[in-house]
Amino acid sequence: MVDHAYEEVLAPNHYFDRHFDTEAAKILPGEYYVTRRDMLIVTVLGSCVAACIRDRNNGIGGMNHFMLPEGQESSDPLSNSMRYGTYAMEMLVNQLIKLGAKRQNLEAKLFGGGNVMRHFTIHNIGQRNSVFAVEYLKNEKIKIVAKDLEGLHPRKVYFFPQTGKVLVKRLRNIHNDTIFDREKEYSSRLRYTPIEGDIELF
Amino acid sequence: MAKSVLTVDDSASIRQMVAFTLKGAGYDVVEAVDGMDGLQKAKTKPFNLILSDQNMPKMDGLTLIKSLRALAQYKTVPILMLTTESSDGMKAQGKTAGATGWLVKPFDPQKLLEVVKKVIG
Repeated sequence: MVDHAYEEVLAPNHYFDRHFDTEAAKILPGEYYVTRRDMLIVTVLGSCVAACIRDRNNGIGGMNHFMLPEGQESSDPLSNSMRYGTYAMEMLVNQLIKLGAKRQNLEAKLFGGGNVMRHFTIHNIGQRNSVFAVEYLKNEKIKIVAKDLEGLHPRKVYFFPQTGKVLVKRLRNIHNDTIFDREKEYSSRLRYTPIEGDIELF
Repeated sequence: MAKSVLTVDDSASIRQMVAFTLKGAGYDVVEAVDGMDGLQKAKTKPFNLILSDQNMPKMDGLTLIKSLRALAQYKTVPILMLTTESSDGMKAQGKTAGATGWLVKPFDPQKLLEVVKKVIG
């Protein structure tokens, strides 16, 4: 098994959230988290998008946090952007199905895609990410029950998969560049990595 | 006559990408939405190649391979897995079940075509 810089990874950051009095997982760009437990999943989004997807019947749910690679425009159905975005979404959906979620019961809420990254070469990257996520879910027939996309501000998103409840805080005053630095590093990682998995013939 | 490929995946986006890639190279492509659907379609029409996902509702990819290998007409037909699963353990299970090869998503269209050409010409 070879490691690839684009690979989506299971979020390793867990903590106890005192405000909500519950176990919580924090996810960063390029990570996802899935659970069947009654807990909280948290992320902070600039131009990235997070899909909060859950099985409406059994509460198994999860969240990802991704952006499309810069470079090619997304009109080519086989572009790096389309293939990576599809991969990022499928990783989340597959893990939910492995935990016991049923595809036909999945519903989604979408957040992020803000126009906040002034140093990206593609200035509308947040919009690209948003449009991709909406179109992907439509194509997969996964119902979007709520969304808060684009705009000018970063967002902090709190997702409670058991109930499907989401709280969104718009961050109007940012005191440091951590969000932007993380997204920039993630974007660089995607830009310089071939978006292709290993092949093995037996 | 064009060679025929059955692509089995619960993701419409992946099926469309695979079909777009292979049809562009002259292959006939039929889509199936899960392992059960794939098995039924494989029984009704002979295919030169099966390309299957692993994690799907109703029937997963490994079960599909075993079911196909139990049929006389699919004993030797190439079956490639195309999946997000990348662990050596899963690949070993695929090999034991009778898979011809293991491709980890995301796939590069040119490399997918090279592999398909290699196994069915």
